[in-house]
Amino acid sequence: MALTTDLWTYRGLIGNLAQRALKARYKRSILGWAWSLINPFTTLVTYAIVFGTFLKVQPPVAGNGDLKNFALYLFAALVVWNFWMAVENGSMGSLIGAGPLLRKVYFPPECPVVASLLVALSQTAIETGILVAIMVIVHNVSWTFVFVPLIIALLVLFSLGVGLVLSLVNVYYRDVQYLVQVGMNVLFYATPIVYPLALVENNAPAPIALAVRLNPMTQFVGAMRDAVYNLQAPSAGHLAYLAVVSIGTAAIGWGLFRRFAGRVSEEL
Amino acid sequence: MTALDSDAKSAIGSLPTKAAPVIVVDDVSKRFRLYRERANSLKETLTVRRGRRSRFDDFWALRDVSLSIPKGSTYGLIGHNGSGKSTLLRLMAGIHPPTTGHVMTEGRVSALLELGAGFHPELSGRENVYLNGSILGLTRREVNAVLGDIIEFSGLQDFIDSPVKHYSSGMYVRLGFAIAVHVKPDIVMIDEVIAVGDEEFQRRCLEHLFKLRRSGVTIVMVSHGAALMEQMCDEISWLDHGRLQKSGPSREVVRSYLDVVNAAENERRGGQPERDGRAGGPQTRRWGTREVEILDFELLDPSGNRLEAGATGDPLTIRVKYRARQEVRDPVFALGFYTEGGVNVSGPNTRFSRAVTGTIHGDGHVDYVMDRLVLMPGLWRLSIAVLDETMMHTYDQIEQVFEFHVQPGSSVERFGLADPKGRWRLSGE
Repeated sequence: MALTTDLWTYRGLIGNLAQRALKARYKRSILGWAWSLINPFTTLVTYAIVFGTFLKVQPPVAGNGDLKNFALYLFAALVVWNFWMAVENGSMGSLIGAGPLLRKVYFPPECPVVASLLVALSQTAIETGILVAIMVIVHNVSWTFVFVPLIIALLVLFSLGVGLVLSLVNVYYRDVQYLVQVGMNVLFYATPIVYPLALVENNAPAPIALAVRLNPMTQFVGAMRDAVYNLQAPSAGHLAYLAVVSIGTAAIGWGLFRRFAGRVSEEL
Repeated sequence: MTALDSDAKSAIGSLPTKAAPVIVVDDVSKRFRLYRERANSLKETLTVRRGRRSRFDDFWALRDVSLSIPKGSTYGLIGHNGSGKSTLLRLMAGIHPPTTGHVMTEGRVSALLELGAGFHPELSGRENVYLNGSILGLTRREVNAVLGDIIEFSGLQDFIDSPVKHYSSGMYVRLGFAIAVHVKPDIVMIDEVIAVGDEEFQRRCLEHLFKLRRSGVTIVMVSHGAALMEQMCDEISWLDHGRLQKSGPSREVVRSYLDVVNAAENERRGGQPERDGRAGGPQTRRWGTREVEILDFELLDPSGNRLEAGATGDPLTIRVKYRARQEVRDPVFALGFYTEGGVNVSGPNTRFSRAVTGTIHGDGHVDYVMDRLVLMPGLWRLSIAVLDETMMHTYDQIEQVFEFHVQPGSSVERFGLADPKGRWRLSGE
């Protein structure tokens, strides 16, 4: 496939673009890299206090039988959500940002998008590492951790597929980025992140519950919680659904991108 | 490498050039859309869709352009601003796709289209070398192999680890050029950028381009500087308003191009395009306000006898006859010696020589006296001009129309354009 060989040829560029973004990111800031942890940590603490302490959302008992901690239950979901957010926002920004370059030199326009995904992935790797480390400390450990890389790999494909389309449409219509902001707010609460899925299934009408269940992010969050919090292997059906959705989204997204990205250098 | 379709193949088959082409532009047109009022919002698109005029104007930057560039040649694209030459280069570099037609290139293309394209201001020069190398499709290891050469060529050893935002424009272009020519390209594309550097760096760039050329690299250059292009290029294509006017050996194309440019210049200055019979030159290129008019010129020997031709190494006087229609104070007379190919070998004038011309009125002449003619035998073209004392205003200027022959004379030299009149001294003397 010409596309993958093209991308492979430009792997150096993708790596360099990612490096460039990482290096330039916290330049001239005193705390530097610490910011990349302070930000998600603050979110985590805020949500844990608001939803766990004030609203008393009850997390299920963890896989080891005695842990019942809302913050950790939340953290497992936020790792997934943060990555998804970072990729979608990053890909839109990266293609626009690569405009001056794309107008002067040829390279596949998906390179900056893939590079921004790598940046997000490096952040997620750190967050996942911390999550797993904490689970080890609180003795909530199981072989189900092996599913984590698989889940993230599928999440990468899914996010990339959506990110490619969003980044391209955003070149033509800049209000896509605002639309995405609004959509992300809705989606955040339509995904069982600050509450367990059981809450929807018990309290919401059937069609809404079904919609929440079919939301791929629900399934990603669920799979991640299963693997690191509940310590259950995600079911085969569950994984199959994720695989089909992810690979399908990536294929369609990439196809659309390839189809319409030819003129992108003129529109930037 | 992009696939050749059958059309492009047949185009190659019919070409007279010996070497296989590495770039084929086959019947290419390029349309840009100029948005009147850019609809950057979804709402506009959704609501303004039907029943309204289109929101953009079509602008055809290129129309039906076909050309092919042989492997290992140095090829020029010439034309005035907005002729489409830079667009064509971008199409060849793969930055824009053609609207219709095909562009085929073979091998690694290294394009230097803009000053510091692809530099990130916050990163150091060294980091930018890696970044730029990777944009051109090189791996880190491949960049490592040429990093030393790049730094040396750019002459930026002391600054290579500072952020490029502190670089001057000259340093930008030096680094950019150094990268572009050291990444082992098969094709190098250059868009006017080397004109930015200082004289010395420009010379090194040209030297390096010659070196690349000798090693079989195909070079495509864009410029409106006719002299440089003629000197550098084997073949040139001349574009005007997106259409190909002429392709062929550089000298021919440059001459046709200059004819049109000068005719347009002439018209702009209000002069009438006219023919001058004297030398049967191509087309008269003459302009000026004619307070002083150039009538003719003569070749004379030291005793004032007319000569039919000069002789290398012998004395020669060039007499310019003029008519001043009104009193003119301190005019400047200027000559230009050109080869048949249009290379300006010398351009003496009375002002640089501090020759006082005084006030002239009526008919008269000035002489340019050479004790020994340095021009080598051949056909030479002469430009003659009369300017005001500031040299800002032209009374009359006739470009490369007058011709005269130079025959072998007392000079012993045989090669080149001029006899420098040097003498040899051996270490034993």
